[in-house]
Amino acid sequence: MHDNVVFNNKVLPYFLLAPQLVITLVFFIWPAGQALYQSFLIEDAFGFSREFVWLDNFIYLFSDDEYWNSIRVTFVFSGLVAFSGMAVALLLAAMADRVIKGATTYKTLLIWPYAVAPVVAAVIWWLMFNPSIGILAFLSWTLGHQWNHYVNANEAMAVVVIASAWKQISYNFIFFLAGMQAIPRSLIEAAAIDGSGPFKRFWQIVFPLLSPIAFFLLVVNVVYAFFETFGVIHATTLGGPGNATRTLVYKVYEDGFVGLDMGSSAAQSVILMILVITLTIIQFKFIERKVQY
Amino acid sequence: MATVSLRNIKKTYSNGFKAIHNLNLEIEDGEMIVLVGPSGCGKSTSLRMVAGLEATSEGDLYIGDKRVNDLEPSERDIAMVFQNYALYPHMSVARNMGYGLKNQGLPRDEIRRKVEKAARVLEIEHLLDNKPKQLSGGQRQRVAMGRAIVRNPKVFLFDEPLSNLDAKLRVQMRIEIKRLQQEFATTAIYVTHDQVEAMTLADRLVVMNGGKVEQVGPPLDLYEKPETQFVAGFLGSPGMNFMPARIQGQALLVQGDHRIDLPDMAELAQWDGRDITFGVRPEHLEACSEAEADFHLKVDIIEPLGADTLLYGHLPGSDSLMIAEQPGKRRYTRGDVVPLRVDRERLHLFDAETEQRLNE
Amino acid sequence: MIENRPWLTAVRHLVLILGIIVIGLPIWIALVASTNTSASFVSGVMPMWFGEEGLNNFRRVLTNEGRVLGVGVSASWMMWNSFIMAMVIAIGKITISILSAFAIVYFRFPFRRTCFWMIFITLMLPVEVRILPTYEVVASLGMLNSYAGLTIPLIASATATFLFRQFFLSIPDSLAEAARIDGAGPMKFFKDILLPLSVNNIAALFVILFIYGWNQYLWPLLITTDENYYTIVMVIKRLMTAGEGNVPWNIIMTTTVLAMLPPVVVVLVMQKFFVRGLVEQEK
Repeated sequence: MHDNVVFNNKVLPYFLLAPQLVITLVFFIWPAGQALYQSFLIEDAFGFSREFVWLDNFIYLFSDDEYWNSIRVTFVFSGLVAFSGMAVALLLAAMADRVIKGATTYKTLLIWPYAVAPVVAAVIWWLMFNPSIGILAFLSWTLGHQWNHYVNANEAMAVVVIASAWKQISYNFIFFLAGMQAIPRSLIEAAAIDGSGPFKRFWQIVFPLLSPIAFFLLVVNVVYAFFETFGVIHATTLGGPGNATRTLVYKVYEDGFVGLDMGSSAAQSVILMILVITLTIIQFKFIERKVQY
Repeated sequence: MATVSLRNIKKTYSNGFKAIHNLNLEIEDGEMIVLVGPSGCGKSTSLRMVAGLEATSEGDLYIGDKRVNDLEPSERDIAMVFQNYALYPHMSVARNMGYGLKNQGLPRDEIRRKVEKAARVLEIEHLLDNKPKQLSGGQRQRVAMGRAIVRNPKVFLFDEPLSNLDAKLRVQMRIEIKRLQQEFATTAIYVTHDQVEAMTLADRLVVMNGGKVEQVGPPLDLYEKPETQFVAGFLGSPGMNFMPARIQGQALLVQGDHRIDLPDMAELAQWDGRDITFGVRPEHLEACSEAEADFHLKVDIIEPLGADTLLYGHLPGSDSLMIAEQPGKRRYTRGDVVPLRVDRERLHLFDAETEQRLNE
Repeated sequence: MIENRPWLTAVRHLVLILGIIVIGLPIWIALVASTNTSASFVSGVMPMWFGEEGLNNFRRVLTNEGRVLGVGVSASWMMWNSFIMAMVIAIGKITISILSAFAIVYFRFPFRRTCFWMIFITLMLPVEVRILPTYEVVASLGMLNSYAGLTIPLIASATATFLFRQFFLSIPDSLAEAARIDGAGPMKFFKDILLPLSVNNIAALFVILFIYGWNQYLWPLLITTDENYYTIVMVIKRLMTAGEGNVPWNIIMTTTVLAMLPPVVVVLVMQKFFVRGLVEQEK
């Protein structure tokens, strides 16, 4: 029975919505439609000729080993970023949850990396791992390993993962800590009375109660790793060595702006859109469930 | 001050749900009308239509001589007290009370004067600079009342204003509201689901059920002569006992075999052999001698309330619940069988099908 | 505390301090590097302690002395650009989102659901997935190399709209009804009641959106070819590729310190709002 008209003005709401809708139409929906349209075309680099080719761009993409490589790289990269960022954050949050002295100071010192741009983080870590002068490369050398992310694919991947995950730790930390502090004390106390020690309590009570937050963070981190780490790759490895760090988003950019292959770039955009839509739906299914609860 | 008329008012929601079927009500100048009924009966919807917060689907609504159907709430010269008080959280008490006057374009010192006057009446002068957050429930309630009084409206509207207060405060504020309404002699419409509140506040009571008016009248009239089984059951606490019965000559056969001789009634002949519902309030069942007994109540649960004692039990050979209210001085124990007599002047007969009252 | 185990408390502090050191290491490196000469980065291990060149480095970068940044504009100018971008995006997003949410929550009008879904869709279309066509739209509108081009396409925001919508839904209807009885029209209600009540939410969103705007990388990279519109974040990458072979790490790190300073300050100063705002987003 929710047709309580709060204000019954017929024109005003359209004026209020207009700025948002105009921007959405012009800069979101129109380009997305363009991408969809262009993904069915083959166009030469100078725009002289275009041909409608149905799904050829997609078929070509999926028969291209390089594209499959990018898919693999993206999933490995996202998985590692999400997992490592969340694991470290969970550990720190579990430690900070029960600390009384200096809690605020710890919190402050742990959340500032959120403000650092991914590309800035990447450049600093790139320097720290620099094979000839980097402090971390030097540490690895003293341990008997010759670090060189210019030639070693795994090491290049490690640098971009660390740089990307580093920044997310503070974000994950804030959520885990908020989640832990929302757990009623009485629950923990009941477990303590039942005789379970602090580690057992964490795994048997705190961790299961955090699982909705962990799931939410997983989606957020995967989305972040997919779409917001372009700068990390662009400023450091440029997708290399070989194609070892060429993620999907980086490839869209390269094929479109460097390779000027409009059709292929558009088709890749469409695939990415489908990916984001899937992720968003998963995320909202989760939120919906939580709201009902 | 003004009369309020609701003529053939109907409300149908966009999903087809009929909230109000056909409401007719003439409220006199200075009268306190209480709309009462279970949740979903349409009492709040009716009030909100008078306020202009909800549109009427059909019918005419008058405040004074003016048809107000198409007027904005602020143009209807009404004031409303909400269940959750609806105080603006970021404004001080004084600004909360004066906000409506400010929107009317009154000069600042006049607003201040009116607010202070209303605050004095409600004894909240010392709170004028506080924010709602800093007030207790009872104080917020007073501020909400103050906001209504300050506007000096033609009609006060109350939407369950006391239901967020604890029991003790509720009684206190109930008396306060009655006092203020009498003092200002302003027409008022008051919505509640609490029948005690309804009985104590109303000049006239409107009992609603399922979007329809069941009965309108002074509280005691409704208590003594409920027109329908619904009203009979709704008013009074604990509720009236109902039992299936049949008329046979000069007597009533309750639940098959309990015989009650009826006083002389002209209509008795025409009801002969008819299925009816017999009703008697717990307070109209008196303990009596074995010889006079209409019923024998086997006591299951005893609730000693001090002044009275409530006996919950059943008639032998039946499992339907019966409640009797007895003076508190006598002690009972579980399992007692108490002979009871029905007060012949205060029994109620309802048509089993239409649930309308039969006896005068 | 449920039980008192000193060793456990000690472990907690130890882990936290270690975490802070590891997390803080990059900023230490950046600060140290920004105070050293470029010669200290040629061979051996990079400096781990402050040098003497700090003031000099910052002065050179901020004024672009001797074209040290390899572009025609100074770091202070680019920080100004970043600041404009961050402010316009933050304020713009907040403004259009709060208005949209107000319309959606407090009015009933035809196509209300359609509007809601159109805004929702923007969530699923981040710039990164439609780089080329968005670039083309901006180009055809003549918005390349302009502040408008840098900001307006990023202003639509489903997240902020949802946040305000959620908040408005949590305000009891009776408040708006009381305002109506008090004679306030919709815009008066918005100005007198809704806006003051939203102050905390606005502050929280401001922090998040300021950081979002300041840290944009791909978008300014695409649509600015005129150096006058370069932002501080995007120039860092240029420096890395500029000095082939001999990367001027001290200058780069000085620039990164400048690039992270404003958003970090905003987060630290408005920490309370920021943390609350982030956690609210999940709801």
